[in-house]
Amino acid sequence: MPLLEVRDLEAGYGPIRALDHVSLDVEDGELVALIGANGAGKTTLLMAISGVVPSRGGSIRFAGSPLTAVKPHEVMRLGIGHAPEGRRIFPRLTVRENLELGGFTQTDRARLSRDIDEACGLFPVLGERMDQLGGTLSGGEQQMLAIARALVGHPRLLLLDEPSLGLAPLVVAKVFEVIASLSARGISVLLVEQNARAALKLAHRGYVLETGRITLTGSGAELAADRRVRDAYLGEG
Amino acid sequence: MNMSPAPTGPAGEPGSDPLRDRVLAFLRERWDFVALVALAVAPLVVPALGGALGGQVTMLFIYCILALGLNVMVGYTGLVHLGIAAFFGIGAYLFAILTVPMYPFQMRFVTAAAVSALATAGVGLALGAPTLRLRGDYLAIVTLGFGEVVKVTLRNLEQITGGMKGLNPVPPPGAGLKIGGTDLGLAFAIDPRWFYYLALLTLAGVVVAMRRLENSRLGRAWVAVREDELAAEAMGVSATRVKLSAFAMSSAVAGLAGCLYAASLSTTADPNAYDFNRSIMVLCAVILGGLGSIPGTLLGVALLVGFDTVLAPWADSTIQQWNINPSGSSLLSFSGWRLAIFGLALILVMRYRPEGLVPSRRMAAELHEAH
Repeated sequence: MPLLEVRDLEAGYGPIRALDHVSLDVEDGELVALIGANGAGKTTLLMAISGVVPSRGGSIRFAGSPLTAVKPHEVMRLGIGHAPEGRRIFPRLTVRENLELGGFTQTDRARLSRDIDEACGLFPVLGERMDQLGGTLSGGEQQMLAIARALVGHPRLLLLDEPSLGLAPLVVAKVFEVIASLSARGISVLLVEQNARAALKLAHRGYVLETGRITLTGSGAELAADRRVRDAYLGEG
Repeated sequence: MNMSPAPTGPAGEPGSDPLRDRVLAFLRERWDFVALVALAVAPLVVPALGGALGGQVTMLFIYCILALGLNVMVGYTGLVHLGIAAFFGIGAYLFAILTVPMYPFQMRFVTAAAVSALATAGVGLALGAPTLRLRGDYLAIVTLGFGEVVKVTLRNLEQITGGMKGLNPVPPPGAGLKIGGTDLGLAFAIDPRWFYYLALLTLAGVVVAMRRLENSRLGRAWVAVREDELAAEAMGVSATRVKLSAFAMSSAVAGLAGCLYAASLSTTADPNAYDFNRSIMVLCAVILGGLGSIPGTLLGVALLVGFDTVLAPWADSTIQQWNINPSGSSLLSFSGWRLAIFGLALILVMRYRPEGLVPSRRMAAELHEAH
């Protein structure tokens, strides 16, 4: 049984149908990329998994139990971390306070500070900026903070929404390197990306989402070699 | 922050006095301790504090407590609240009901204060629960309306609240408690310095509690919900529970201030004492001093309420002494211009220092990064 199992999921906003019978799996320790154009429904899918956007049909199961009626703040407690689109760090809190909020459910202070140190181990630059306000970090550092913050909560599955958005190529490489190392540590990742080339290179498997439907699926290498993917998303037409 | 003495030039050169630098640094770091000691010693050296001035400063302390309560909602959690005076009033009336002779409870001061603060928190929860989904202007309107409802209810529920007469006499703390042959309640009634110290002590306690809250898990959750509710939920913070706790904490502290108010006046006064003007005054004090900042809130109250209750009457009587205004025209009295001056001061502060006089570190960063 997959760790995350999405079946025939439907969701939308008012009259707009954003997800149309979407089915998708993430296995334990797997890195899965979800690629697609703007407005395809990638973010909506992540929001539906984390309970922010209510689903209108179909099912989401995580580790065997249904997620459909779980409240947003409880999803994290089940082991799903979310680094949302636009990073959404707390700009007026320090880096340390941001990370402490990532471990909000951890009440043991000693363990929390160990978890924070561990997350900073992945991004040493955060360790140097602990007392700086989140809003004063560079875009790349904010993205690292968003990922580290989600990791402090020890997720089994991490939802990453456009981590490369607006970052310099060198920083993107650094962020993707860390993302790749997560699955080696047993954390499953569902990665939403517009940077399809980099995402597919990294991913074990991938899905292509087009206007609310999954149109293609396969291993990262298969998709990267697929004619249609190359034409539409890799800019080789 | 910088505690090291300034670079030492030749002895006696102005501007490089290490002692002065050190004193200034000490004041910056430990303003709270310095202020507490100064305020604790003041009644012993300023005889006027044994008279009417003592009562006025006690009121100032009580408003400081009220403003710190409001700051939990408006400052930390970012929920606009225009009816804090209603909770002040609920605390005062509950306290009076639990202590005045016409009711059978007649509790001791501490018990009555604790019960009324808790019950006021309960009222806060009752208002908060159905209105949680509202934000910004809409929540402001609900709290504004609630404030009016409370005031009118207190006025019209004559059998319980005494209507416009209010409930009295509220006995002083320690009434009937003999210490060394003298009745403690009598001491409170005769010498305003007893209330001065009681209010100062309570205020110090509230400041300490607020500091601890700021650095607690709950305090961080309040700020997280203010900053980004969705991101906070993704961290496992229940925005519902966090906002309700802010409502409850804010109301409890306001209720506690109300207890002190009723006890020190020995009456609840009439319901108009808890009207919209008072809510706005306290809100302005918090904004003027700096949202989310404890020293800012205290300074804001000292300036606004001090202006209103100490400076304005003093200026009026001075003008009268000079005999400039024999006809009693309000154009020539200071009080006539009071609200205009007040409004102008607020406009100027918002124009030149929107983060408040003593901003919290977070607000200062937000409002100045764009410049």
